[in-house]
Amino acid sequence: MKKTIQIPLGSQHISLLEPIRFKFECENEKIIGVDADVGFVHRGVELACTRSFEFKQVGYVVARVCGLCAITHSLSYTLAVEKLLGYVANDRIKYLRMLMVELDRIHSHMLCLAHTAENAGFEALFMQIMADRELVMDLQEAISGNRVQFDFIAIGGVNRDLTPELSALIHKNLELLSDKIDTLLGLFDNNWSLSLKYKGVGVLTLDQAYTYNALGPLARAAGLATDVRVETSDFPYEALGYTMVLESTGDIHARNFVRLREILNSIAMCRNIVDNLPSGEIQEKTKGKPSGEAVVRVEAPRGELFYLVRGNGQNMLERVRIKTPTFSAIPAMMEVFKGSEYADAPAILASFDPCMSCTAK
Amino acid sequence: MRKIETTLPTLLADIGTFYEARKWHFLSVNGIDLGEGKIELQWIFSRYGIKDEIVIYYALSDYTTPVPSVVSLIPSAFMGEREIVDMFGLTVEGALRGLYLDEDSLPHPLRGES
Amino acid sequence: MIRSMFEAFKNLFKPVHTVNYPATELVLPKGYRGLIEYDKEACIFCDKCEKVCPPGAILFYQPLEGEKEYRYNPWLCIYCGECVRACPKPQEALWQSETKQQSALKEDGANEGWFVWEAACKQSREDFKAAKIKNKSEESV
Repeated sequence: MKKTIQIPLGSQHISLLEPIRFKFECENEKIIGVDADVGFVHRGVELACTRSFEFKQVGYVVARVCGLCAITHSLSYTLAVEKLLGYVANDRIKYLRMLMVELDRIHSHMLCLAHTAENAGFEALFMQIMADRELVMDLQEAISGNRVQFDFIAIGGVNRDLTPELSALIHKNLELLSDKIDTLLGLFDNNWSLSLKYKGVGVLTLDQAYTYNALGPLARAAGLATDVRVETSDFPYEALGYTMVLESTGDIHARNFVRLREILNSIAMCRNIVDNLPSGEIQEKTKGKPSGEAVVRVEAPRGELFYLVRGNGQNMLERVRIKTPTFSAIPAMMEVFKGSEYADAPAILASFDPCMSCTAK
Repeated sequence: MRKIETTLPTLLADIGTFYEARKWHFLSVNGIDLGEGKIELQWIFSRYGIKDEIVIYYALSDYTTPVPSVVSLIPSAFMGEREIVDMFGLTVEGALRGLYLDEDSLPHPLRGES
Repeated sequence: MIRSMFEAFKNLFKPVHTVNYPATELVLPKGYRGLIEYDKEACIFCDKCEKVCPPGAILFYQPLEGEKEYRYNPWLCIYCGECVRACPKPQEALWQSETKQQSALKEDGANEGWFVWEAACKQSREDFKAAKIKNKSEESV
């Protein structure tokens, strides 16, 4: 006789904002087997990039892969094409690009924290974090001119410059935000009801992190010291005060803490960028057409984003391969579910910060 | 970026001697259509903690030859393998079709002639 | 725990964070990327904006005689500003305003109407080309 019971989670579920379906094989309340279906929002972006759009337009297409990390997608594509064109951006362009990526990381991490709080049953905290997140969204809107689709990075530079008023606004909002993050740190650490849902739940051990190639905040929470920001030399992160945030326990609490402390680190880096912005042109003309193969890795909020671009000297590219962070995180995610309680599944899932429109592209 | 050529029959042995879970981060499996029924398959790795070190194992093949699965060496590779099965209509041992595509989708969207 | 309960109580008397939209207008930041605007007088009809536009929201209709006709679909546009950067006479012929586009109604024909127009533009190009070739061959004869 069969002793287990199958419980699905998704594709539409009250605690999920993303279309993903898990089939849990449960023994009483304990999950012993997981099956995931991730392809609900497949749009064929890779195909469109090589068939319908010219290489100068693809930067705007890949930005539509995901709303939250639009800037990292267009940045990685642009870097890859610039490598193929043999163009090296000047320092001002690099700094402005970094500024947007770090602001993006702040608001994406805050969204994840809000959802983890919501899925642990703390609705008020969700509202509070989402309200604070507006500070960063306003900044991004002021810098790029749009709230979600920034279209800020173009091949050969960035589309808009930073004015003195904007710098003042950035300082003002980040000052407000860093106080709020400090309170959140205390809240996430000391609140009793949150700790019931977070501490010791959804543990990813260091061995598992290595075996299943965990990445981003997920790996750093388990103690795996990996960050694309120090593993690539495209941007001068070390010079701007980057410090790697590591935790060792690997549970939801550790992942929240990695995110909170990374926000603080990003705020510090944003301030450094604005204060030390070098002078120079913000957009330069690039010549030629991409030929050859280039790979680019960029640390998106959820982990490593990988682009492989191959061109053959024509307007249309031969191949654009997008490997998104959540796509690689799914094996680790399935491993973490095994052995945990079914009731914890939504909180664990939210703590992974899954982005399905990235995964299915 | 370092590119190392390999062949499908020797792939498992090559990657088995190369891959160490604590040293190399497995990125993904990738396929590139070369036209005329040929495909270039890539297994991409990056090194933990060292700047800009990416190793790509690649093998040239056609669409009919079955591709060996590396899941026994790298457990997280199943996602990438299912993706190339969907996108190129390849056969990979143990990987099912249907990660992204449905029954009524294009059979293999990223193949050259489709 | 007690502190968070105290905070929650305090929040009861705080003003709301949200804006009463649409009764209150949203404040758009300075430099908001809005609609693309066009001046026919200044345009030199180089078609550069049409070529660079990622979604293809700018099209030129080519009549057999006379000037080309500009057509723009504000609901297809992604407001990236690529066309303005490509324009040889930016701020005169083509510029980005700060007005926000309202949502499309059925009467606007944001999809169906545009598909008809797209096909018409393509056809007009081909007709023009054919007419040109015909004219040339007649001249040479």
